[in-house]
Amino acid sequence: MILDHHERFQRMIDESLAGAISAEKEHSLREHLATCAPCLEYLRASNRVVAGLSGFSFELTPTLNARVLAALKLRAQQGRAAQPGRRRFMRQHNVRFKVWAAFAVALSMSITGSALVYQVAKLLTVPMHFDTAQVQAGVLLFWLLPSFCAALCLLAAPGENRGIA
Amino acid sequence: MESDTQRIALGLRQRDAAVLETLVEQYQYRLVRYLVSLLGRRDGVDDWLQETWLRVLERGGSYDGHSRFEPWLFRVARNIALDAMRKRPMFSLDSNEEDGVRSSHASGEPSPYVLAARTEDAERLAHSLQTLEPVYREALVLRFQEDLSLQEISVIVGAPVSTVASRIYRGLATLRGQFEGETA
Repeated sequence: MILDHHERFQRMIDESLAGAISAEKEHSLREHLATCAPCLEYLRASNRVVAGLSGFSFELTPTLNARVLAALKLRAQQGRAAQPGRRRFMRQHNVRFKVWAAFAVALSMSITGSALVYQVAKLLTVPMHFDTAQVQAGVLLFWLLPSFCAALCLLAAPGENRGIA
Repeated sequence: MESDTQRIALGLRQRDAAVLETLVEQYQYRLVRYLVSLLGRRDGVDDWLQETWLRVLERGGSYDGHSRFEPWLFRVARNIALDAMRKRPMFSLDSNEEDGVRSSHASGEPSPYVLAARTEDAERLAHSLQTLEPVYREALVLRFQEDLSLQEISVIVGAPVSTVASRIYRGLATLRGQFEGETA
């Protein structure tokens, strides 16, 4: 689209009002407006539009602010009321973490303890005339299995009975 | 030193009632003016306004305080308006009355612009403003009444700066017809 001389400057007036004009263009526009009646008329009409837009005054509903503030207060209270629920949720998750940690500790103690018991039992096999398979079965049946079951009971017991809820 | 925007951001993050009350007092009228420009009618605006502030309460933490508060607030209001329009397809920002927008002009209710005109020039603009497509009216209001930059308007409306500029030029061209050929 080819703009004629005036259209080019009138476009600059629009750009100037929109805040999209460069300092260089603004300068050339000012110089042009000093000598061009049609473009000056265009600027005056544009300025009247802009001024006219400021001539509207909408009435606010008198109770609007109070209504909005009451709604905000209510929503904030609902948010706070939801907080204990969130804390309970966090507490429940915290309990679950503690139970799993206790289980891990119990399991590792069970395995480490079993290894120690096995070493002691091996030392006693010779004077007591037991063979290795019997010692292994004994440690498994009377030490490792019960302690492993005790660790598993931590997970199976309801919260109140875990002693950490 | 803490700037105003940072104070607002902090207050919104903490859901500070005093900060919210101040913001409501400060921006209520400007939100009404903006929402009327989107909807083209006055009734229903109060409900949108309440929804806007409730969303400000809920999502206030997303305002970082690094830029002006107004564009963020108007963007929230615009999203509320768009949500409402999607639920009520008779309204659309991108179409005019012929495409189905039921503005107060079409529904026979008095135009909010006619009722709100306080100067002679405003009275002359009222009808043209009412029939102007909402996207042009919105661009004019944000630029000339809210004094926002093209970049800020671009953020609010989610359109390129060049598109925003074109909307302002077209809006001005439509309204300028009311005053052309007259001496001031």
